[in-house]
Amino acid sequence: MAFDDVLAATNISGTGMAAERLRMEVVANNIANAFSTRSPNGGPFRRQDVVFAAVLNNKLGGLGRPGSGLGGVEVTDVVEDQSEFIRVHEPGHPDADADGMVSYPNVHLEVEMTNLITASRAYEANVNAAKTQQRMMEQSLALIRA
Amino acid sequence: MVRFTFSVPLSGSSRTTNGITDTTVMVTHAAQTDLLKSLLDAASLRHRVLAQNIANVNTPGYHRLEVRFEDELARSLKTGNVRALPQIAEADSHGFERVDGNTVDIDEEMGRLSKNALLFNAYSQLLASKIGQMRSAIVGR
Repeated sequence: MAFDDVLAATNISGTGMAAERLRMEVVANNIANAFSTRSPNGGPFRRQDVVFAAVLNNKLGGLGRPGSGLGGVEVTDVVEDQSEFIRVHEPGHPDADADGMVSYPNVHLEVEMTNLITASRAYEANVNAAKTQQRMMEQSLALIRA
Repeated sequence: MVRFTFSVPLSGSSRTTNGITDTTVMVTHAAQTDLLKSLLDAASLRHRVLAQNIANVNTPGYHRLEVRFEDELARSLKTGNVRALPQIAEADSHGFERVDGNTVDIDEEMGRLSKNALLFNAYSQLLASKIGQMRSAIVGR
């Protein structure tokens, strides 16, 4: 078994942690901009979502061969949620339209909080997998010391 | 001492002398170490596969993978060969699938992870004691 293989599990958990962290960052950005009525693209801020994809590197031999192709997870894209903005009647607001309606971002706090907790739990699971890997490697090293 | 009756290919050492198969203690040790080594390899691979499943717990449409080894090992031990290779395959979800098409149950996965780590622990401690025995046989104290 090559040393790269030994560290592969840590890399897999690492990709999981990185992906979940990015998801948390995107959620945090959504919450921070929950009331941003202006954005660089014009119009109110649109909530963003991450797109996860499993990495199975088939160049390395594909499934079936031991240890091949397990590449963890990657965030392939951060997409904008195209659902409708929240319309609120606020005639005094500088961004109100002719009817006095203001378009607020399509950010729903309960959705964001749920995503935040899911991401944080998944992050913990990845940390646990990495810790377990570390313990296993310590045991393997103990074989040399024994 | 427990003696396993299966044989393993031993590189560089002749196991047959005058047509009689040599089943000395050293060979038994080597067979056990080889078996433990393949079990450790399988546990290490299974950990990687479980890490992959856990990393993809939020990936829509991801189907969990599993390592198949022990059944094949048991079969091949009957035929006197411990050269069974672990296989990675898509696991049967038994109808469990989340709304997003993902078949990873994080609780089950963490349970499998702990179980696998315990098995790895057991195998490596067994291997350590085997190595210790061999060492004391060589050193003579």
